[in-house]
Amino acid sequence: MIQKDNLSPFIAEFNGVSLRYHKGPEILKDITFSLSPGSFHFMTGESGAGKTSLLSLLYLHLEPTKGRVHLLGQAVDMMSRATKAQIRRQIGVVFQDYRLLNHLNAFDNVALPLRLAGEKEADIKKHVSELLAWVGLEKQLKSYPEELSGGEQQRIAIARAVIHKPTLLLADEPTGNVDDIMAKRLLHLFLELNKLGTTVVVATHNSGLVQSFHFPQLHLSEGRLKIIPPSGTYSEMASKLFKREEK
Amino acid sequence: MAQKSDFLFDHKASHFFLPWICGLMVFIATLIVAGGVSVHNSLDLWQKGIAESLTIQIPTYNADGSPRNDAVYHDIETTLMITRTTPGVQGAVVLDDEQMQQLMAPWLGPDAVVSQLPLPKLIDVSVDSKNPPSLEQLKQDLTAQVPSAILDSHRIWLAELINFSNALLHLIGFILLLLFATTIITVVYTTKTALTIQEYVLSLVHMLGAKDWFIMHKYAWHHFKSALGGSLIGFILALPIILGITLFLRAVSGQIFQSSLSLSQWILLLFIPLATAFLAFLTTFHTVWKFLRKFL
Ligand SMILES: Nc1ncnc2c1ncn2[C@@H]1O[C@H](COP(=O)(O)OP(=O)(O)OP(=O)(O)O)[C@@H](O)[C@H]1O
Ligand SMILES: [Mg+2]
Repeated sequence: MIQKDNLSPFIAEFNGVSLRYHKGPEILKDITFSLSPGSFHFMTGESGAGKTSLLSLLYLHLEPTKGRVHLLGQAVDMMSRATKAQIRRQIGVVFQDYRLLNHLNAFDNVALPLRLAGEKEADIKKHVSELLAWVGLEKQLKSYPEELSGGEQQRIAIARAVIHKPTLLLADEPTGNVDDIMAKRLLHLFLELNKLGTTVVVATHNSGLVQSFHFPQLHLSEGRLKIIPPSGTYSEMASKLFKREEK
Repeated sequence: MAQKSDFLFDHKASHFFLPWICGLMVFIATLIVAGGVSVHNSLDLWQKGIAESLTIQIPTYNADGSPRNDAVYHDIETTLMITRTTPGVQGAVVLDDEQMQQLMAPWLGPDAVVSQLPLPKLIDVSVDSKNPPSLEQLKQDLTAQVPSAILDSHRIWLAELINFSNALLHLIGFILLLLFATTIITVVYTTKTALTIQEYVLSLVHMLGAKDWFIMHKYAWHHFKSALGGSLIGFILALPIILGITLFLRAVSGQIFQSSLSLSQWILLLFIPLATAFLAFLTTFHTVWKFLRKFL
């Protein structure tokens, strides 16, 4: 039986969430926020502030030490392993360290989520080729990760995260290894997806990027979360997307 | 491009040693089991031979050619008495001339007059096959009281061989036990090592939302196939060696050594590579399960 408070209207909802690794200090302290469907957030904070840790809670790699996390409407601590697997298939993650499979070429790395979902090879071929062309890697389909530059690997990681049009996209420093022009191009890819309904969180150190796209920031400092409204003028789009409900 | 169903496996990693180790272990195990089975078969054959009956000869002529006359009858009486009172002996009879004639017909022809030939008297001793008499004891008793009696020495030799082979069989059993333990440990650890190398694949596929059951099943099946391939090669390589040894033993020992295997024994041998592959399957299933449990 699903109890009423196991359900949430948000894509993600954190209630008094704290996290510590083993017996270490609290990395995240009493964090409460929610992500509305179709919202777009940056996540900022200095190195070691806990951005990757917070994202790990969102992509079901870690469980909070205290508090409760809801994902796609369901309480994480009440989910069966099968449900967690099903939820993960609706989340796209760009890992900070890419996590590409070295034994697969660019095409097969990007195709991985589709193959796990059991899609038809013909469809896979079409979609993967299109997307790789979009991120400028149409000539590297057959290259293995070790034969690619850091920026090229990063773009493959991004393509793998978005290929299945996830409900929630979590990108951890997705533009760390590309120039500003490519960074903007990739951000536009996330925007396209966001327009189609995907909820997006992009952790980044790139303040230029945060400045030029008017989205709210989830800012981490000393383990606490502060929500910073879009920088500069409120653009129409940003105000529309900024739908955080106050708790 | 990788095969559609192959994307989960880093072939460089797991294909390297699992089949080789399985092949090697199966090769050794097959040879040892085949050896054990043929010793067992020979033992059966020898035991049957020794179980049926045995013969005692009483010479009718002295070494210098003079007839022994009444001494023969005295010796026969004593021999019958000794054998009939030996535990494990069911009966002892002197073969009469007609039986001797039948026995000798292949050599002397049907018309030979046995009574006119200097043949020894033969005493046929039937033996309780479940509780055979001690041939050593019988021989001692006979030598003491009927020095002229000749106990079929081939059977004594065979009895010693049976004792030796029994000991050998126990030794083979012990080696097999050690070998099975080694095979199990080796296959389990090789499988686990192969999986350790694949852990980054496993954890990523898990992160991308593959179900535990799917991953366990894929990996177990993958390792089963790769272990089976290696095991069958090890098995096939052992066959010519078994065949060679069989032919060699047949050439040097005739019927004494029963080295060829029955159909059911071959099936037992085939069980070795199958069991090894199945072991790799189970180990993978369990190890992947344990590995995935480390994650949410
Ligand atoms: N697996 C772990 N075990 C123990 N401590 C960890 C682990 N992962 C991260 N930490 C610690 O948690 C803190 C936050 O790390 P995290 O990776 O979340 O920071 P971040 O904001 O992503 O940093 P960066 O911008 O450099 O990527 C750091 O102090 C780090 O040392
Ligand atoms: Mg980080």
